[in-house]
Amino acid sequence: MLTTTRKALHSIWMKLNSNKNRIKTRDGSQLKGEPSPKKGQFTFGLRTVPKIKTTGYRLIWLVACSFLLVFILSNCNVKKGVYIQKLENKYYRLMVNGKPYIVKGVCYNPIPIGSNHEYDWWSDPNKPWIVDGKLMKQMGINTIRLYQTHEDSNEVKQVIRDLYNLYGIRTLLGDWLGFWEYPCPFYGDKKFQDKVKKQVLEMVNLYKDEPGLLGWILGNENNYSCLGQVNPWSTPEVDLEPDPQKQKKMRAQIYYSFINDISKAVHKIDPDHPVGLGNGELIGLDSANQFCQDVDFVACIIYRGKTFGNLFRSLRMTFDKPILLAEFGADCYDAYLKKEDQNMQAFFLEQQWNQIYENLGDKKNGEGNCLGGTIFEWADEWWKHTQDSPDSWKEHDTGAGWSSGSYYFDIRAEKNMNMNEEWFGIVALSPELENGINKRIPRKAYYVLREFWKKPVIKKARNNKAK
Amino acid sequence: MKKLIMVMLALSLFVPAFAATEEKAAGPKEFMVYLDKNAKDNHFIPSGWMGDYGDIKMNDQAADKPHAGTSSIQFIYSAKKAQNQGWAGIYWQNPSNNWGNKKGGFDLTGMTKVTFWARGAKGGEILQKVMVGGIKGTYPDTVSVEMGPIELTADWKQYTINLVGKDLSYVNGGFGWTVTADLNPEGCTFYIDDIKYEADPDLKPESKKQEDMPFYIYADRSTAKNHFIPSGWMGDYGDIKYDGSSKEDAYLGDTCIKIIYSGQGTQGARWAGIFWQNPANNWGNVDAGFDLSKTIKLTFWARGAKGGERIEEFKVGGIMGEFSDSDSATIGPVILNKEWTQYTIDLKGKDMSYIIGGFAWSTNVDNNPEGATFYLDEIKFE
Repeated sequence: MLTTTRKALHSIWMKLNSNKNRIKTRDGSQLKGEPSPKKGQFTFGLRTVPKIKTTGYRLIWLVACSFLLVFILSNCNVKKGVYIQKLENKYYRLMVNGKPYIVKGVCYNPIPIGSNHEYDWWSDPNKPWIVDGKLMKQMGINTIRLYQTHEDSNEVKQVIRDLYNLYGIRTLLGDWLGFWEYPCPFYGDKKFQDKVKKQVLEMVNLYKDEPGLLGWILGNENNYSCLGQVNPWSTPEVDLEPDPQKQKKMRAQIYYSFINDISKAVHKIDPDHPVGLGNGELIGLDSANQFCQDVDFVACIIYRGKTFGNLFRSLRMTFDKPILLAEFGADCYDAYLKKEDQNMQAFFLEQQWNQIYENLGDKKNGEGNCLGGTIFEWADEWWKHTQDSPDSWKEHDTGAGWSSGSYYFDIRAEKNMNMNEEWFGIVALSPELENGINKRIPRKAYYVLREFWKKPVIKKARNNKAK
Repeated sequence: MKKLIMVMLALSLFVPAFAATEEKAAGPKEFMVYLDKNAKDNHFIPSGWMGDYGDIKMNDQAADKPHAGTSSIQFIYSAKKAQNQGWAGIYWQNPSNNWGNKKGGFDLTGMTKVTFWARGAKGGEILQKVMVGGIKGTYPDTVSVEMGPIELTADWKQYTINLVGKDLSYVNGGFGWTVTADLNPEGCTFYIDDIKYEADPDLKPESKKQEDMPFYIYADRSTAKNHFIPSGWMGDYGDIKYDGSSKEDAYLGDTCIKIIYSGQGTQGARWAGIFWQNPANNWGNVDAGFDLSKTIKLTFWARGAKGGERIEEFKVGGIMGEFSDSDSATIGPVILNKEWTQYTIDLKGKDMSYIIGGFAWSTNVDNNPEGATFYLDEIKFE
């Protein structure tokens, strides 16, 4: 079959090349004395080619062979797998099997009303991801981010495969890196390091061959532990240092060196998927620049309202790696007016995606270092505000867990508490069941982003211009 | 030929009508805030006395060298802190004493600037700021623009507040000024005259100019060089005492900043701090700030009263709101020495084109269980 095709292609090629008297020069002008293309001729690259007068079988055969030629040529040099390409202008883009890929994703954790984070949705017989995947595909989502895998690898594989096979949605898999272990993550302790590393490598070995896998994300906001802000840890050496600024640096060196070590090990097992460094804001990345060069991209958690500000440029200055906005978004509850406000959420998300697109590798005016983003989050989680009270998991709490002035519509709420953790979904949950799961009700942001992704028109807005 | 005559005829009918429309659309070119005492064109009343209002004396028929007409308004500010505020000011309102609780004001759409004339009795008097709009309440002004500080000269000088592109559809606070005891420790006397809105079609929107370096947050207490206000008190703000004119061994000049943090947890936050903002209390809700693109670092001098006081963070920028700072940078934790020590926040590669939060510090009770007293001086962008 291949030989026949080759012969046919060779024949066409010879025909094209035989028309030497119609060769143009590089600048497009015709060689002296040569006639211009006439009726019945057309140009092919730099060549002028006669239209081959033919009908029926010959024409079909010719067209088919041309398509085949294009197909073969476009695939013969394609690098398989998922990787990051650094372009000549130092911009970055994510490539999947040789084609550019913009991550249009969501963080996915489908906890039903009345349950909390311990709920095992992976083994839910109603398979919520089937319903969600369909809605996601209709919206234009091509990626989900999972913070941590499940102990039953068959169930994890089933989710990855279903989403990929049914909807073409790829999965970013993550690991908490022991961040929530009691009493704290001892990143300076060799035993702890070995345990975490082993766990990550097991995950990689289990899922690296899944066609639906997009990449790995190591940790989430674990860098805050180096500052002592969340889950603080230390080592005897660090404790001996009297200067607290130097202590921070020492912890950052330990942490980022450890991530680098894991990253190298992952690459050894799985050269076909990129490794991301989960990081809260850009904090600590000056240390990552020194000690963590083996990660492929930074997966940042950013909540800055309508603008990412100087994020993309700042990253380029401190740690020149591409960035995935791995967690960002907006809630849809106005804590000041005490009512749902889908417009507010849609406004922030559209602004954020506008900037993500502005900084993609194929855009001239941005920093060219953005790979896309995974919105926090797909669906509301009703357990989050009052986590210790199971009764409240059945209620959609309107309490706010934290404050951010950059989400300014409702910053005048009491004590400026305006961030409502249970209201971040771009899809709302209804207590009503449909297909055995809580009915999904897409919010305005769902439709706004669907339209944006269909036809992304980037509105160039100055950082501080009002809406 | 017939056609040409018809066209000419039609034009002769349209042109005057068009000209009349143009004239109508142009509207008035000036709108007086204050011209002279009892002038019929005065539209606002200097009724909104604020802060240490007991420190202000007003003579609205000062005949001593008015800029124009028969009189100007003389203001005498004593800086005695009669109401213990450390600042004072006056708003021109319509109707009088309207703090946004009554429907009043004017639709000044079409005006593009406010101009006024001012002079100091001696020269060197400092207005912390002048304002257009900014009164809130049930009927809030649609505009809020501030300019300052302004160091007055002994001779009359005209000042302009650019309003191009601003929404002037409801203006109750037609004009206002504030002074502070820090900037005028001995008080001051100054004169204002001929305050008016003008429609200047050639005026372009004000773009932020890149400020020259050095650019001060704090140089000394009585200087117009101080561009940011220590107004953003955070966390346990009740634990903080701020003295911007401490004479306890200033590093340079006459004064330095003395901060006493008690660590009592008055508001239950267990931490506290202050942001220096522009304008005061701007948490990103006002489009203001400075373009500090020329800076490469912020430097400041600090010392602890005993040595060993721990400041968790010194910071530039990072205020997030509708109008967010364009970037941020921090150092810390810093353990202070007893001697003056200079610290630097590196700003190379940062986007400093829009900064409303010039400087900040924060500390907490966990690291200062007995509280902390510390001093700051010469805080500046370089």
